[in-house]
Amino acid sequence: MGRPIKVVIAKLGLDIHWRGVYLVSQFLRDSGMDVVYVGNKFPEQIVEAAMQEDADIVGLSTLGGNHLTLGLKTVKLLRDAKMDDVKVFMGGVIPPKHVPELLDGGVHKVYGPDTPMQTIIESVKDAVAV
Amino acid sequence: MVRNESEKEVCLFSQEQLDSIEAGYNDWFNNVLKDADRQEELAGRYNTHSGIPVKLLYTPADVAKVDYAKDIGFPGCEPYIRGVYPNMYRGRPFTVRQLAGLGAPEDCNLRIKYLLKHGATGINILFDLPTIRGYNSDDPEAEGNVGHCGASVDSIWDVDAYFKDIDMGAISTSVVTHLPSTSIVIPGMYFAVAEQRGVSKDKIAGTCQNDFIMETCVGSGPEILPPPVSFRLQCDVVEFICQNYPRWNPISYNGYNLREAGTNAVQEVAIAIANAIATAEELVRRGLNVDRFAPRMSFFWDLHNDFFEEIAKCRASRKVWYKIMKERFGAKSAKSMLMRFHIQTAGVTLTATEPLNNVARSALQGLAAVFGGCQSLHIDSFDEAYSAPTEEAALVSLRTQQIIQAETGAINTVDPLAGSYYLEYLTEEMVKRIFEYIRVIEDLGGLVKAVENGWLHREIANYNLEYQKKIETGETKVVGVNYHRAEHAAAKEIEVFEYPETFSRQKAKLDRLRKERSPQKVDECMKVLRDKCHSDENLYPYTMEAVKNLVTLGEIEELFREEFGLWTFPLIS
Repeated sequence: MGRPIKVVIAKLGLDIHWRGVYLVSQFLRDSGMDVVYVGNKFPEQIVEAAMQEDADIVGLSTLGGNHLTLGLKTVKLLRDAKMDDVKVFMGGVIPPKHVPELLDGGVHKVYGPDTPMQTIIESVKDAVAV
Repeated sequence: MVRNESEKEVCLFSQEQLDSIEAGYNDWFNNVLKDADRQEELAGRYNTHSGIPVKLLYTPADVAKVDYAKDIGFPGCEPYIRGVYPNMYRGRPFTVRQLAGLGAPEDCNLRIKYLLKHGATGINILFDLPTIRGYNSDDPEAEGNVGHCGASVDSIWDVDAYFKDIDMGAISTSVVTHLPSTSIVIPGMYFAVAEQRGVSKDKIAGTCQNDFIMETCVGSGPEILPPPVSFRLQCDVVEFICQNYPRWNPISYNGYNLREAGTNAVQEVAIAIANAIATAEELVRRGLNVDRFAPRMSFFWDLHNDFFEEIAKCRASRKVWYKIMKERFGAKSAKSMLMRFHIQTAGVTLTATEPLNNVARSALQGLAAVFGGCQSLHIDSFDEAYSAPTEEAALVSLRTQQIIQAETGAINTVDPLAGSYYLEYLTEEMVKRIFEYIRVIEDLGGLVKAVENGWLHREIANYNLEYQKKIETGETKVVGVNYHRAEHAAAKEIEVFEYPETFSRQKAKLDRLRKERSPQKVDECMKVLRDKCHSDENLYPYTMEAVKNLVTLGEIEELFREEFGLWTFPLIS
């Protein structure tokens, strides 16, 4: 890998909880990745940012219940824009029974509360190495 | 209890007793304690959550300087450490106030009735994210969030539906409007509906949150009003409601969400009180007497894991507020000096792993809240880390409150942990540290400035980084997560509350509303409000007139964004 892993991280839509997403951004950055935290954005804006930044990974955070709607929409827009190799990670408060639908819809990994930061860091590295 | 400041200090223990206690302590420390234990104590490895060093043992020597009558006193008397009412829970049990908000207002109406039927004595109404952030259900920004995590309120019709067949003159309602920009709209809808039903102004009881820190720091969002604007709206709400609705608390300084976003107990209380100080200064500047508005200011604390520090925090916060109101603002009315607060247990401490463990966490936190002398309490539900509470989980929370109230005996005597050397030491230490942190904020130019330049956001981010590192290393233990780790977690299948129809129902209602209302009246209201944004006048009468004429929440918020402009949230990189 010639350059650091490039990660674009967004707070999905109107969700107000920035504690977790900012922490994940900091930990990924401290592990050597190039992280752009874009704040609260909607799917179209997130895809645009991913394109501009030439992202390897898009991280979406939500504790606001919009994972099935805006989360899946973001994945679809990425695919429509032919960014097939960009892997999408999601984190936040996401009911376990919604996870299969997210994974079927093209989300690469979903991480809930209690996940150690090291798990997320390793998982992002693995996703890019494949 | 009126006291003369010139009276000489009367300490709890005589010098003779203290000398003998000190000698006894030294003997115990040097001769009774095992060498390894003594070394460990000298290493000073124990701290409260906020970083106050914790000794192995506390004795009267740690509270030697405390003058009981002056520094601790009696309940309902200065400095109010022991509680705001003389007979506390015997006279007025803490209000069992559980949250109710999901789906459309019609769904919440059923949940409210369910909670009232099971003995809840107050209601918290919660909103979905579009409502919290000021968008109508059919605005593009609302996509995917309508009816999640709370109910949608677009217009006065929704408030009417929320409280269908409920006597609005007989309940006290906490309208959880977080932001000043929506607190200047939604409670107005509530007042208007109550008045349409013939409830007189003096019977309308409740609280709205109305905290500019929520708008500009604790919660992020795609479109945020500048901090000075949000602060102005916050003060408009307090001023207007104090002058018109005597039983409504126009502001609840939200330490809770500050804590959840990432602060310690000292910061939580100090930041909220710094906001109260800023509000009081502004209202005095507007010509209001402090005794007119201070009695209606209320506070909202988190109850986190550190049992004794949290109880000390509650007791200390009352003393800090008393001193500020009396000494700094010259309040004359005792009611101005009483700090009343609602408590919610700490959602941030709850785990997704083995969710039933959260029942135990929340019960302990709830008990500490009662030892802290809260006026009302919400106990979080065990499914917090999965979704907004299911009916089953909400009932367990309600029952936990009732168990504390009816079975433990904890409410039979006032402030039962007072006199614990440790607790009294911690309480005084918290008082000192809260004042110091308020001073830091004021030295930065006050809270509005500290938010505008991103200082507060950085304080929160720094706290979170340190806290998370302690969890990652295991220094802070979380049972089932990094300590006694659960091998096969998530044993319990959590149902998720869902109302998929909310969007279409809200949309249909909005379509009908736009057809039925008078476009001329709407235009008139909007034009007046737009003009008044640029005046010094209080905006509340104009937003209230607008909602009565069926102007929607989203329309008013859009007008604010256009007139006041947007502000960029710090920490974006």
